[in-house]
Amino acid sequence: MTTTPTITLHGVGKSFGATRALSDVSFSVAAGERLAVLGENGAGKSTLMKILAGVHPADTGTVRLGADPYTPASPAAAMAQGVSIVYQEPSFFEHLTVLENIFTGRELVDVLGQLAWRRMRRQATEAFADLKLDPGLLDRPMGSLSLAEQQQVLIARAVHDRCRVLILDEPTSILTANEAERLFDVVDRLAAAGVAILYITHRFDELARVADRFVILKDGVLVADLPTPADHNEIIRLMSGRQIDTVSARENTVAAAELLTVRGLHRPGEFEDIDLTVHEGEIVGLYGLVGAGRTELALSIFGDNPASAGAMTLSGSSYRPGSAREAIAAGVAYLPEDRKTQGIFPAMSTGKNIAAASLDRFAGGLGRLDRTGLNTMVAEGISRLRIKAPTPDFPITGLSGGHQQKTLFARWLATDPKLFILDEPTRGIDVGTKAEIHSQIIGFADQGMGVLIISSELPELLAVCDRILVMRAGRLVADLRGEDRNEAAILRATLGVDDADGKEGT
Amino acid sequence: MTVLTPEPTAGPASSRTGRSISSATLLRSGLMPVLLVLELIVFGVLSKEFFTAGNLSDLVVNSGDLALIAAGMTLVIMLSGIDVSVGPMLGVLTWGVATMTGAGLSPWVVVLTTVAAGALLGAVNGTVIVVGGVAPIIATLGMAAVYQTVLFLLWGSRDLFTGPVVPLLSGQKALGVPLMVIPILLVFVVLAYVLKMRRFGRHIYAIGNDATGARLLGVSVGRVTFGAYVLLGALVGLASMIYVGRVGVVQSNSGSELTLAAIAAVVVGGTSILGGQGGVVRTLGGLLFIAVLQKGIVLVGVPALWSGVMVGAAVALAVSVDVITRRQVDRRERGNR
Repeated sequence: MTTTPTITLHGVGKSFGATRALSDVSFSVAAGERLAVLGENGAGKSTLMKILAGVHPADTGTVRLGADPYTPASPAAAMAQGVSIVYQEPSFFEHLTVLENIFTGRELVDVLGQLAWRRMRRQATEAFADLKLDPGLLDRPMGSLSLAEQQQVLIARAVHDRCRVLILDEPTSILTANEAERLFDVVDRLAAAGVAILYITHRFDELARVADRFVILKDGVLVADLPTPADHNEIIRLMSGRQIDTVSARENTVAAAELLTVRGLHRPGEFEDIDLTVHEGEIVGLYGLVGAGRTELALSIFGDNPASAGAMTLSGSSYRPGSAREAIAAGVAYLPEDRKTQGIFPAMSTGKNIAAASLDRFAGGLGRLDRTGLNTMVAEGISRLRIKAPTPDFPITGLSGGHQQKTLFARWLATDPKLFILDEPTRGIDVGTKAEIHSQIIGFADQGMGVLIISSELPELLAVCDRILVMRAGRLVADLRGEDRNEAAILRATLGVDDADGKEGT
Repeated sequence: MTVLTPEPTAGPASSRTGRSISSATLLRSGLMPVLLVLELIVFGVLSKEFFTAGNLSDLVVNSGDLALIAAGMTLVIMLSGIDVSVGPMLGVLTWGVATMTGAGLSPWVVVLTTVAAGALLGAVNGTVIVVGGVAPIIATLGMAAVYQTVLFLLWGSRDLFTGPVVPLLSGQKALGVPLMVIPILLVFVVLAYVLKMRRFGRHIYAIGNDATGARLLGVSVGRVTFGAYVLLGALVGLASMIYVGRVGVVQSNSGSELTLAAIAAVVVGGTSILGGQGGVVRTLGGLLFIAVLQKGIVLVGVPALWSGVMVGAAVALAVSVDVITRRQVDRRERGNR
């Protein structure tokens, strides 16, 4: 087409602190065109979408909407200019009706400033008719709708007036096949009406159905801009192929004793039929897309999210933790995903944070604490992990994110765990500290501890793990070691490409 | 190839939704009417005077001040806020009313000044909450202590005796109907209209559901919240004049009994303590329930002290039903992740 594209990005870049989320991204989408955006976790897709939706400003580069510069100050401003986004996790007012939801923030009023409900209802009915939605939904509370219906209402809200660009963030991840097909119809209809569609997805199988073209982001850089259909293996090759050392920093310790075995672990709606083994001194990675059930599984092993079926053993004896307390007593430690809300006690000192999980061990008669023993342990933790706290009394909030994380490591190491589960151990931590944490994790394993690491960063897992397990939609779909432990194989398993002959479980 | 995987989880989860919502909804909207009818039957049977015209108009006169406060409180609670300073705030305002009346100011000057002063105190609460970012319960708890002390100092061991300021805010009757019914009904009608038909009202619902979501859609969360506290303050001002007319005296702890009663009327009426759901018409039902309870207990011959126990129990019941049924909805959401 020779006409001006609806939206044009030129050299868009964005950094968060030291992390470069996007660099020099350029592409355009024409009116009525459907563009899919592909990329691994953390490739920059979300950042890109948030820039377009007015959540973050871009640091560099320009975005044009039609021929005009486009720099929305807020999501509301983006919407007013015709750019709308529907997030993966639908956000709405659950106790308000569908009609009220659609018009919140842009109510229609008459000359007296009274809400023009009849006019709003008419508009919404028309919009619903365009999208072939049931107008009967308009008076139902939003919370009573199914997820698919909620999503369609949000799309209707997004497109309802002067919408020129619609961004859909993994919309089918929560839908059944039939619901997804209905969604594709809606997308087609909008594209036919001239809306430019940006469609984030992880599903190669729907690529040809929903998109005319696709782009691939990798480490914040645009590495491909191609028409559909495309060969899936070719896409995998473009998404992976990172120049990193895929050989683990350590030699795989073989023939060690089994530490944790998990057989047939099941929890409805979260994970099914999980079989896995962690050996003493082994570092096992758990990879998968956000929502694949990794954290749920880890919490289950830690006793906080008990499974409904299945059996576990720890060091050869039966292990059935009913609470985190029991898991800790059995020798399992868990470092939560969100350091700020689930990990540190921000009002307490570094030393007290380290001591928090092992107070029982130092409690004498009548619950009196053995202060000397405790202080020795804290001092050891601080020096062993090289935490930058001048004294144990130093407030934990005065430490950098990386050192806060090391404080949590020290807390759990003080409990002398046999199995250490780490959920996103280096998220939001600077590169230098990250490398230090990696070498410390390897150090734990060298002393015979079993480590299970959940991470969305493939390079991290490739750098420290002996073995990498892949979860997809609640199932363990691959157990990769040795030569198989490479980026392309992991992505293939994660995204479900060619999984007819894929390995199931261990 | 892979599309089918979510089906088993999404299927049962969404069908579960339908059931839990309908039973929850039933409990939510059905509880208040049932309690009220039960209460009317019990008191009607136990006391012959209960359904007389005199008793019914007494009900209104005795809870006119409470009604106005509860109306404003409804908006604040719908924002998932709360104001526990209304009782002591009213106490301070009644001192002002008694003093101004004693100084011989014209009644309408007293009315306007008191309403404006109430709005000002509401603005103080609103500022601490919106600008200061303090949780509403803490902010207003602190202000309650301030107002209590201020009233104690103003009172200075001298009870002020006073009477109704204007007939319209008193128990005076025309054709058997207390005149205060007129301003009270007007307030409820206007607020019901605002909640249904004005942006301000719709934004209160949206903020109470999800303040962040509302902000992202361009709703000015701070301004709406501030406005609700100012409105509540102004209504407390209006209520303080009914209060002095009814009680006739200003003491060191005047008004403090109204805080719990006002919150009770709102939540027993069926406005969610978690915000986002409710309305002033429901609060009328809650008011009726509490007024009938307080009056009925006296007529039946139970010591009046017990009404506190009953009101407290009703609040606990209403709030736990609210929180538990809402939690069911939340649990469904999490199950679908």
